[in-house]
Amino acid sequence: MERHVKENPSEGQSPVTDPGHSVKCSPVVIDDVLLNGTTLDIPAAEEFIHQSMAIIVEDAVKKATDVREKVCEWRSPDQLKELLDLGLRDGGESDSKILQRCRDAIRYSVKTTHPRFFNQLYAGMEPYSMVASFIAEALKPSLYTYEIAPVFTLIEDAVLRKMMELIGWEEGGDGIFNAGGSMSNMYAMNLARYNHSPDIKEFGLSAAPQLVMFTSQECHYSVSKAAALLGIGTKNVYVVPSDKRGKMILSALENKIKAAKSEGAFPFMVNATAGTTVLGAFDPIEEIADICEKHNLWLHVDACWGGAALMSKKHKHLLKGIHRANSVAWNPHKMLMACLQCCAFLVRDKTSLQLCHSSGASYLFQQDKFYDISYDTGDKSLQCSRKADAFKFWLMWKALGSSQLEERVDRALAMARYLAEEIKKREGFRLLMEPEFSNVCFWYIPPSLKNLPDGPELYEKLHTVAPVIKERMMKTGSMMVGYQPHGDKPNFFRMIVISPQVSKQDMDFVLDEIHRLGKDL
Amino acid sequence: EPLIDHAEGQLFLTQAFNIIVEEVLCKGTDVKQKVCHEWKEPEELAELLDLELREGGEGQQKLLQRVRDVAKYSIKTSHPRFFNQQFAGVDYHALAGRFLTETLNTNLFTYEVAPVFVLMEMEVLRGLRQLVGWTEGDGIFCPGGSTSNIYAMNLARYQLFPEVKSQGLYGLPRLAIFSSPESHYSVKKGAALLGIGTDNVIMVKVDDGESKLCSLSVCFFQGAVPFLVSCTSGTTVKGAFDPLDRIADVCDKHKLWMHVDAAWGGSVLFSKQHRHLMKGADRANSVAWNPHKMLVAGLQCSALLLKDTTNLLKRCHSANATYLFQQDKFYDVNLDIGDKSVQCSRKVDCLKLWLMWKAVGSSGLAERVDKAFVHVRYLVEQMKKRDGFHLLREPEFVNVCFWFIPPSLRGKEGNADYQDRLAKVAPTIKERMMKQGTMMVGYQPLGNKVNFFRVIVFSPLVSQKDLDFFLNEIERLGDDL
Repeated sequence: MERHVKENPSEGQSPVTDPGHSVKCSPVVIDDVLLNGTTLDIPAAEEFIHQSMAIIVEDAVKKATDVREKVCEWRSPDQLKELLDLGLRDGGESDSKILQRCRDAIRYSVKTTHPRFFNQLYAGMEPYSMVASFIAEALKPSLYTYEIAPVFTLIEDAVLRKMMELIGWEEGGDGIFNAGGSMSNMYAMNLARYNHSPDIKEFGLSAAPQLVMFTSQECHYSVSKAAALLGIGTKNVYVVPSDKRGKMILSALENKIKAAKSEGAFPFMVNATAGTTVLGAFDPIEEIADICEKHNLWLHVDACWGGAALMSKKHKHLLKGIHRANSVAWNPHKMLMACLQCCAFLVRDKTSLQLCHSSGASYLFQQDKFYDISYDTGDKSLQCSRKADAFKFWLMWKALGSSQLEERVDRALAMARYLAEEIKKREGFRLLMEPEFSNVCFWYIPPSLKNLPDGPELYEKLHTVAPVIKERMMKTGSMMVGYQPHGDKPNFFRMIVISPQVSKQDMDFVLDEIHRLGKDL
Repeated sequence: EPLIDHAEGQLFLTQAFNIIVEEVLCKGTDVKQKVCHEWKEPEELAELLDLELREGGEGQQKLLQRVRDVAKYSIKTSHPRFFNQQFAGVDYHALAGRFLTETLNTNLFTYEVAPVFVLMEMEVLRGLRQLVGWTEGDGIFCPGGSTSNIYAMNLARYQLFPEVKSQGLYGLPRLAIFSSPESHYSVKKGAALLGIGTDNVIMVKVDDGESKLCSLSVCFFQGAVPFLVSCTSGTTVKGAFDPLDRIADVCDKHKLWMHVDAAWGGSVLFSKQHRHLMKGADRANSVAWNPHKMLVAGLQCSALLLKDTTNLLKRCHSANATYLFQQDKFYDVNLDIGDKSVQCSRKVDCLKLWLMWKAVGSSGLAERVDKAFVHVRYLVEQMKKRDGFHLLREPEFVNVCFWFIPPSLRGKEGNADYQDRLAKVAPTIKERMMKQGTMMVGYQPLGNKVNFFRVIVFSPLVSQKDLDFFLNEIERLGDDL
């Protein structure tokens, strides 16, 4: 039996390659290749890792989160290609050259951890999650079986259970972490379909009746992509209109279901969104659940964005009724700031995930293992190799506790509220709607347009404002805020407030900066 | 007031990193240390780890201890004696790339949030395509080879019936896919997911050219429309390579999409000596290739490469979301590659491969591939010299499949219960090796063959001493059975 060599692991020592490794064994030659032991020089490798880590901490952690530094250093694609010297060649390069490449990659990358990065539904730096990522990257486990990833399998299970508790499933359920909210939504659709007609798994859809599903016009586009991929067809995703606050209109949903049935189609699922991508709106889940129950439809709640509200006593009412869902998608890598990817798919029924996805591959899921094989969760997934994403959430949860996670959510929403109030006070800024979550959508109306009445002329001109301001902010590197058109509305900004490192001053700065960049338009 | 204390967070980062280097990278690759810690039953391990998530948080020291515990109880997949899966070993440049990827924490949907990596991914895909033999084409990194195979299936279907995207499969004829019984299970999972149905994945023994053509005519007769052949370069268990040229002939003749699942075997393309195993790959429509396997890039690193130059990938997958893919951006919006994917958020998987490739060059990667083959030759030679090691077949690749026949069973092939008793050997040896933590190698049944070992040898950390150890250890653990 091998024994641990180091008695005192806290004493920093560089590892010693086994002296017996290359000495006792006489070299062997096969096919003119001399086999004389491992070619990896561990001490040199360790030195390289330490140096690269120093660069990472300095440039990608410290500077990247420093409000005095730029959010991005814009270069055109052609310029950037030249600067990076991307070409892959026959010969290798020295470690110092590689370290320079690391510096360059950092320099020209957008600092998504910067306090003034508001562009997407993720932002900020969460060091505990990051450490968990590093561990996972170093260990590189794959979560298909317990034998390969014992620790991470158990951790994933613990995290899923806790999330189910927050959803309100007293009897528990099932779930899995997967490679994105889009994938979670896809899983939901697949399970809902399987639930409706399990035969489809084997026989496919061509002989099946026309299955249709319902979702709001504000839903995430992954619903459409999933329908296409699954062979259901985007046409069979019936889009239900939403009201002025971005919420699904219930009567419209009911009507569409009835209409679909009378046309001979088979409704099988409703996708409700808790926290829509642009407006941050929450569909009325409780009422949608009533409708689903009545018509026997699978209810999936896409809470990828809004699921974080479940951590907050104050705001969880936004997802009232979610315990009645059949499945939920929730991405801790968004507002809760776990490192990308960190996406959970949860399902109330305890067997459908396994039944729907399994293929029983005998090379991986042997039935005669010496441990309880119900811990081999891999067959529940559509992936084979699967990363230890839940761990990134677990370690930070251990560090912060639910109470601090709750604080984060409350603070983000309070900050959004503050921003909305400021927008209302300032001339030249117009709020689209009172934020329900932490999406603050608004127009900047430059002085030259302020006297134009509402109408097509204003909208046309307004539409050109945001893109220019965006270009300017990126070229200055002062901040990043997204814009988009929406329905018939001209381009408006969508501020997303997430990170606890963001302060009131940053909110003021956003408005000041937009004005500074756009007042001459 | 900002809630995050950067100084504290950064201190934790640095301290935790030192633990990671010590426990995972140093000890984890040290042949004097165990591959896996003392075996723990799930319930016991769950208690040791104290998994519960609570209201209150914990201090730095406690968390650092947790970091140590996680490292301690995890399998050291980079260990020279981890032979269990198609990933193993460590490359430090790739590892630095992975740490950097995690720190920069961004997504590959648009150029604006990931300028460096959008360009880098394009270049890496170009480099991989070149090795397949394509001067042009398309591609994307996917969260795993299974996803790559699923994408290929979707693209093939879309090419033949573009209306499937909007109308779905209703009213379309039954579609059929050809694959081999040794193909990866993601082909079946993909067929189920896509609404094609697992029954419509027709398994054809590939080295029987005649039966493949027969299956095709059976298909047409029954009104099913074949649209895809999914063949494998480097099968999961045996490491076998389908004859791509012959398959390409059939596909050309019947206008079928040819997908090559080279997730495992693709890396032979780096080696002048061994690339012949994938001769004909350039005739395929799509190739899946996972550098996180033999090239040691680290999970996930899975590429789907396409010959197509008509933007098929984007046309098939796009949803044109206006909040993300605005058409009025100030840069060339073709660089917003997100709509090529079925994913929205998509991790940067190219940096680890790019950095490693820059560091060691194509020739360095080729050397690794070649050396793996050489190690396997050595192992097989040694195996043949010893009693009790019975090869399933001569390895074509770096999967060495064999039975260990303990002394008590040698010469008893004729006995009625021989197969049953042999089937129990591998699981018992596996249990012992895991509980002692000396090494890890997988076993499985296959078709009518009872449990045999599958040792996968390619890690750059492996030496022939480890291979000698491997054989000795199997004997040591199994001699008394």
